[in-house]
Amino acid sequence: MSKVVGIDLGTTNSLVAYVNGGAPAVIADESGDTLLPSVVSIDALDTVHVGREAQRRLLTDSARTVYSVKRFMGRGIEDVKDEERWFPFKVSGEAGGVVHIHLGDDELTPPEISGFILRELKRRAEAFFMKAGDFDPEVAAAVITVPAYFNDAQRTATRDAGRLAGLEVLRIINEPTAACLAYGLDKRREGIIAVYDLGGGTFDISILKVEEGVFQVLSTNGDTHLGGDDIDRVFVEIVAADLGLDPATQADAVQAVRKAVIQAKWDLSEFDETHVELSRVPGRTEPYSRRLTRAEFESLIEPIVVRTLQPCRRALEDAGLEPGQVADVVLVGGSTRIPMVRREVERLFGRKPRTDLNPDEVVAIGAAVQADILVGGRREMLLLDVTPLSLGIETMGGIVSKIILRNSTIPASGSEMFTTFVDSQTAVDIHILQGEREMAADNRSLGRFKLRGIPPMPAGLPRIQVRFQIDANGILSVSAHELRTGIEQAIEVKPSYGLTDEEVERMLIASFEHAQEDINARMLIELRNEAETIVAATEKTLRRPDFAEIAAVLLKADEVGAIRAALADLKRAMSTDDRDAIQAKTSALNQATHHLAEVMMNWTVQAALAGRSADDVAAKGR
Amino acid sequence: MQPDTSAIPIEPCKHCGTDAPVDVHFCPRCDRILTLGRHGDYFTFFGLHRRLRVDVKDLEQRFRALSRQFHPDYFHNASTTERLASLERSSYLNDAFRTLRDPLARLEYLLKLEGFAPKESRDPSATVPQGLLEDVFELNEELEAIQDMRIDGAPAGELAPRLDAARRPIEANLAEHERQLDTLMSTHDARFDAGDPAGRRTTLEAMRTLLLERTYLTNLLATVRRELNGGETARP
Repeated sequence: MSKVVGIDLGTTNSLVAYVNGGAPAVIADESGDTLLPSVVSIDALDTVHVGREAQRRLLTDSARTVYSVKRFMGRGIEDVKDEERWFPFKVSGEAGGVVHIHLGDDELTPPEISGFILRELKRRAEAFFMKAGDFDPEVAAAVITVPAYFNDAQRTATRDAGRLAGLEVLRIINEPTAACLAYGLDKRREGIIAVYDLGGGTFDISILKVEEGVFQVLSTNGDTHLGGDDIDRVFVEIVAADLGLDPATQADAVQAVRKAVIQAKWDLSEFDETHVELSRVPGRTEPYSRRLTRAEFESLIEPIVVRTLQPCRRALEDAGLEPGQVADVVLVGGSTRIPMVRREVERLFGRKPRTDLNPDEVVAIGAAVQADILVGGRREMLLLDVTPLSLGIETMGGIVSKIILRNSTIPASGSEMFTTFVDSQTAVDIHILQGEREMAADNRSLGRFKLRGIPPMPAGLPRIQVRFQIDANGILSVSAHELRTGIEQAIEVKPSYGLTDEEVERMLIASFEHAQEDINARMLIELRNEAETIVAATEKTLRRPDFAEIAAVLLKADEVGAIRAALADLKRAMSTDDRDAIQAKTSALNQATHHLAEVMMNWTVQAALAGRSADDVAAKGR
Repeated sequence: MQPDTSAIPIEPCKHCGTDAPVDVHFCPRCDRILTLGRHGDYFTFFGLHRRLRVDVKDLEQRFRALSRQFHPDYFHNASTTERLASLERSSYLNDAFRTLRDPLARLEYLLKLEGFAPKESRDPSATVPQGLLEDVFELNEELEAIQDMRIDGAPAGELAPRLDAARRPIEANLAEHERQLDTLMSTHDARFDAGDPAGRRTTLEAMRTLLLERTYLTNLLATVRRELNGGETARP
């Protein structure tokens, strides 16, 4: 039987996981990486690069490289205007229609770009099963996760991406719910659980009640445009202003800034201060370095962190709960590694959040568990999720009449009666909306439906019942029939911000050549990945605030100089396609840092021991 | 105690054609999930009597047990008919649970089921219920006076105490309504258990009146609250 996998299609990174004999596990690629950077690059020869190779191309060919495509899924050009300036690629589109992303001469929609990421994950999983000697390694179907606060258009776009990648999307599930499933499986906890999920581009909060193996979502809230990307942008803008960079003409340099800023952000989750460092900056002879303390970092990101707290309060209110009734708070998403985020979450819920599961992997694991449930492997667990936003239709005067309320358990259905306004009218227009606001114009338009084939009758006489069904994916379908005659009505759908089925059929992503099918290209990519890993680790050590102190005491006089030289050599080699050189310089840097790695290991162990004994003293003192 | 099923209509199973009561979830012969009956109600769906006191813990347990029987997760490889039946039955279950879990929604649902739906369902605030005429008259006069003061530029600090004072009798009245509703719910269930349909209808009728008045009072309080917020529309 072909395999069914769980996929976390993230803003920054994507992962694929699988349940093997009851035990879920994340699948790594040939280099051992579990995270696939959600970056896609299409070069001038129409070769598609996905993941770390595409990420590197951000610095050399940024105009043909897309990252954070999830922020564009199911959205219109008017939604992304404000941030477009900071993306290296150009976007276009008509109001109310799908966004088009320009990569050189190619023009692709967000589901196509996401499709490339999914196809790479499918390939990765199939390679894994093949290597394991599985006689049917094909991956034909998947459960894909989306932010809980994704609307219908965003969910549908995700499903389209799966279809374009050649995957049958068995189910779309919500990321926080998937995380809770993985968490519940691991900890066997029951009671009220809050999942706080701050990822690269989206924020979700879900409150669940776990009882007798049923994971019932009580409420959910969030912001589909709030995450680590927004934090990065604050600092990119500061550094770009420092350097006088223009994002419109110096996109590659802006991407180098972004990379350095992200590195500094990561450092600050561990250290009290760091430096944003750029070795080469256009128009400057000197390298750039800017000291950044955690206090400064926190004062600048505070508005972003605070924006996550109001949705948390609303979710609690909707669930009818006080913070004290929450048994566990689970953190999901890379941005929850930021100490300030942990502090604020702890303050709001009055308890220390759980951090014992890997916040990057827990969603993919939950998706794999759900895939296992669907194919019949695991029956003792059941997920009952909710629809995050109310569904309604536009009525006279532009007012919304709600049909299915937010936080309703899905599947959910509702119906509404329509009639005609003029004699012999045979069609009625229906405008479907999602959101909580009173006026239609303030909500998200999901689509316009035309009811046709109404039997000609005097005005007001036909009784057309329109039925709205939200399925377990949180995706809407509509059916209608006229009650007096029993005639089923044809419904014509024009999705807002979405693709029609015909458009999806037309998008043949197979016409693009896939770089990673090519064995030579593949080896080069793996060598670069390996090189990049050691470069990042070395640079991080060199940037440590206490490095000078360590070096003075524990390293030989010429050691740091030798390391810096080997590092520069390798970085030079990496910018070429010379496989032998990259390999040779990687082992040279490996050798040069061998002693340093040992020293750092001892230093860390000693620091940890010192920390523990301090705690012991404190414990005895109580 | 099982609900009396003798009066429940019959519909054939789409798979094997066996007649099955519409409130049964699975075919008695072929064991397949049945398409949703059109004549069922939330109470019988859960296997409950039409009583107003519901043990929420028990209801939750029934909800979880039924979810485990119907959920689309478990019909992934089933026929199209069964998948549709699972989807419809799950949707109905979720709706039923949401309604029966909440005491007021439960009461409103039972009133509708028993033919006591409020007549002016479109806009309950349009006509003042008889029992509230005096209260409403007084409050409206006071609100008008306060609005005039606001227009004349009186500071918010001067308006708030008067609004608070105006609110108090309404709140007291609302609390009294809730107390009476609570008593009547118990009376209703006692008469249900005693097999006294006429007595039961009397309590249902009384509860309909109280419920209408209660809705009206809640709307009045919302108006006062809007005034307190400086005449702005309160965020829902």
